[in-house]
Amino acid sequence: MQIYLPIAEISVNIFLLLGLGLGVGFLSGMFGVGGGFLMTPLLIFIGVPPAVAVSTGANQIVASSASGVFPHWKRKTLDLKMGVLLLIGGSAGSIAGVQLFALLRGMGQIDLIISLSYVGFLGVVGGLMMVESVRSLIRAANPDKSASKRPLRKRGWIDRMPYKMRFPASGLYISVIPPVAIGFFVGTLVAIMGVAGGFIMVPAMIYMLRMPTNVVIGTSLFQILFVTALTTLLQAAQNQTVDILLALLLTVGGVIGAQFGARAGRNVKAEELRALLAALVLAVCLKMGWDLVVTPSELFTILPRGGGEGF
Amino acid sequence: MIATLLLALGLQGQPQIATEAPGIVAALTQETVEIREDFDGAELVLYGATRGLTIQDEIVVVLRGPGRDLRVMQKARSFGIWVNSAPLEFDDVPSYYAIATSLPLETIAGPEELERSGIGLQAMLEANAAAMEPSWLLGASTAVDAAAPDAQPRNLPDGASLAEPPAMIRQDRVSEYLDAIARDGRRDNVFAEAQRGVEILDGGLFRATIALPPLTPVGDYVAEVYLFRDGRPIASRSASLRVEKAGIERFFFEFAHDLPILYGLFCVLLAMLAGYIANLAFNRR
Repeated sequence: MQIYLPIAEISVNIFLLLGLGLGVGFLSGMFGVGGGFLMTPLLIFIGVPPAVAVSTGANQIVASSASGVFPHWKRKTLDLKMGVLLLIGGSAGSIAGVQLFALLRGMGQIDLIISLSYVGFLGVVGGLMMVESVRSLIRAANPDKSASKRPLRKRGWIDRMPYKMRFPASGLYISVIPPVAIGFFVGTLVAIMGVAGGFIMVPAMIYMLRMPTNVVIGTSLFQILFVTALTTLLQAAQNQTVDILLALLLTVGGVIGAQFGARAGRNVKAEELRALLAALVLAVCLKMGWDLVVTPSELFTILPRGGGEGF
Repeated sequence: MIATLLLALGLQGQPQIATEAPGIVAALTQETVEIREDFDGAELVLYGATRGLTIQDEIVVVLRGPGRDLRVMQKARSFGIWVNSAPLEFDDVPSYYAIATSLPLETIAGPEELERSGIGLQAMLEANAAAMEPSWLLGASTAVDAAAPDAQPRNLPDGASLAEPPAMIRQDRVSEYLDAIARDGRRDNVFAEAQRGVEILDGGLFRATIALPPLTPVGDYVAEVYLFRDGRPIASRSASLRVEKAGIERFFFEFAHDLPILYGLFCVLLAMLAGYIANLAFNRR
């Protein structure tokens, strides 16, 4: 059953969109990531114009992260204070990112920059996560070794930073600079890559801020919810590239998928969850890297001029 | 009585018509095509009548969509990855271009004539390109600067190098770019050259059917009808068509463009509500 999308101006199968939402929503709920790094390339793949894919993807993530954040809110597995700091950085970062995006687009290579960012970030983050989670899985298998590996309280440069603040929900007493900086950095990526940045924020919170894993996902979803809401609003106001019908269809699948995903996630060990997420991130990285290297079937790219097009 | 009179007139008129200046009229069965949420392509029918149609006359119908400005870039390998380079810019390329004919186009007219009158996908694109030569020269020369000498695209015939005069570069490259535009349009079925599609009926009447694909662009269209004799167009007529969004499609499109901030807020709130409802529905059990 085909449906014509008013802003994307293409006709797509309804069930394809529902299924796409369901699948990405499931992963989103399971890993506490927005799923934008999957959704955006998939939408472009099925023929949605890139600019519309990026903006509408953000709108859909608003819904799936909202549905994901409520259970965390109820179970208090969310560090509100930390979330607000990340959000402050994130909002500033996304505004800066929009400027950078415009600059790169003027240079005519935005597509390449986007692909390279995907490959670079997904590769590094996925690789690090994979190594770490496999290590901790091995450690979990040999309990005698795990005891010696626990002196995690090794204090680094982050702890020497000023403006310290207490984060009771995370049981941390750290400087406010790293969360704001992480938020800013991730916010920039939101604008450039059209992703919510959970795949970077989650590891950053675990490994840099040393937040307990149980509050990481809720906090990440909280920040994602508001950054994507801001992005949707900005894109709708500036570029008119948010397709409400597309967003709605993806959302119906997405929110349901996210609920199942959150449930499935609870039954999987944190290390295994991280290993799975790492595998997924690496798979997308490899796919995009491959597309950069392999000889394309069409050697010409046809881009509209003047319009709000171009990723 | 009247009928016989008309018949008599008609019979009498018959030889006279042949000597009359040939002419053509045409009308589309619909003046607007509405794109609604279930739009999945449509078929457009054009009816027409000719005056002084002879056996060797043929009819060509061209439907042209609204123009758009394009930037076409060629991918070149650089440091192992494929990079968009060598941009050429084209103005006002039709977003839709379809031809229906009473005989295969190439048997109706020779390539020179088609080129002269700009009929046919190839001729249309070339005519469009010829109209904007100066900006190409500019585009082409910067393009060559961009494509490093060692990363010369391999399908570029004997590589346009820096030393060559801009005119040579243009000659070499432009047809490749035009081919790329044609391929792109055919892939989406917005460029179509039907070998037939025009049916000649009795009494100088004809009917043309043209398919509008799911990706039909919105805007103002022009249908041009040509009467060809001995390989040249001897009469032509045009009719206009509008493709527009309707119903819920139109509502959302106008909402998004006329009240963008409100629309954005609406999208965000709707998404949050959807998330909240899903959460309630799932956690109540």
